[in-house]
Amino acid sequence: MSFWSQAIEIARVDLRVERRLGDTMRIVLPFAVVALLIFPLTLGVDLTAVSRLGPAVFWALGILFGMQVALRQAAHDDRERRDLYALLGVDPAARFAGRTISGAVLMTGFLAVLLVAMIVLYSPRLPDGWLGPVVLSSVLVAIGLTELGTLAGEVTAGLNNRTALASLIVAPLALPLVIGASQTLEALARDASILPWVLVLVATDLALAVAGVGLARPLEEASR
Amino acid sequence: MTRVKVLLAVAALAMAIGLWFALTAPTDALQGDFTRIINIHAPSMWLAFLAFGVTALGSAMWLIRKHNRWDRLAEASAELGVMFTAIGLFTGMVWGKAVWGRAWDWGDARLATSAVMFFVYVGYLALRAATPDPIERARRSAILGVIAVIQVPLVYFSVNLFRTLHQTQSIRPDGATMPQEMAIAILVNVIAYTILYVALLVARIDVAKAEERVANEDALAGDTVKPPRLSEVKDV
Repeated sequence: MSFWSQAIEIARVDLRVERRLGDTMRIVLPFAVVALLIFPLTLGVDLTAVSRLGPAVFWALGILFGMQVALRQAAHDDRERRDLYALLGVDPAARFAGRTISGAVLMTGFLAVLLVAMIVLYSPRLPDGWLGPVVLSSVLVAIGLTELGTLAGEVTAGLNNRTALASLIVAPLALPLVIGASQTLEALARDASILPWVLVLVATDLALAVAGVGLARPLEEASR
Repeated sequence: MTRVKVLLAVAALAMAIGLWFALTAPTDALQGDFTRIINIHAPSMWLAFLAFGVTALGSAMWLIRKHNRWDRLAEASAELGVMFTAIGLFTGMVWGKAVWGRAWDWGDARLATSAVMFFVYVGYLALRAATPDPIERARRSAILGVIAVIQVPLVYFSVNLFRTLHQTQSIRPDGATMPQEMAIAILVNVIAYTILYVALLVARIDVAKAEERVANEDALAGDTVKPPRLSEVKDV
């Protein structure tokens, strides 16, 4: 099997597991929507503030809960499954790529639902032509966050305090993604070019992809 | 140990010279003596960047060579990087409180991104502390050490990327944006702090070697047999 056939097959298996378990759509997503509901309650009935803060809250919650999606994906990869992949001769880099593809698909869906919920609940004032840039930045954030989650999940595999530790690793490293995504909309509102911020997202995704593929072998050894 | 003592003595001398330059350099007309904080702040942040760069180098080299010395280098440098970032953040906040009127200003992208960089490496040290097996610890932290360094260029270029309160780079290849005496004082302090970093790095690596020696000492027969605790003994 070629590299991409392996990666796509792994992504397909991951998505099938998610369809059966429904962790992302049945647990993490409702939890994120509850957080969207709670936030305005802490502000009081200030509709202007709620409307203004909508996009910022969307990105903050998208990153924080998206992190849970990314880490849940990595958590499914237990020792037995990793051993099975190794015995089958699956390329560790293809495993990373497959995990990234499935995670990015899931995360994009997660962010899309969260975006609709934010628009309904917060009635934000969005600049003209916002949809394309927001979709683009959401997809790039989804890819980057999944790569980070996969890397952090592998690095912390088997440790007692894995959940807290992986979150501590992912949250600060997601900063370029938070900045790139939020500033894309900000630039659009100022009639400025969104290109530098899209490039920040693309560069982060590429750097993480290179790191993930390049470090795939030691990552596999570390997580066994 | 003599090597460390010599290095620390040289560092102390260099720091004293740096302090003299910092105290005798001219000050800004509006900021007064608060300008002098830059002689600690700028070298600390420079050292943080250098230390995290060395951590990435040590991590990459461990992944290639698998030799303990690279893991010790990465660990020691990360600890020093966290220390220098903390000093840089603290002095920046003291200066901000005096000049901007508040210690933390969200308009300063460098401040916010530096704080995040600090937590990235706190996570790195937490990962090390959470992994008991030395080989596993080295491997996992080497992977993270290579990835974590992507934060450094973001912090460095944050003043160029954002509309921010923090001034852009003051000392550039085309000259300094401040009086020459002030620039020289900062450069002398950068050199002094770099010597201090090298001295502390060597000392920390020596400590790590000693820790490894203790951990690798052969166990004596009967070491694994522990006497029963009083709480575990019934019917005494």
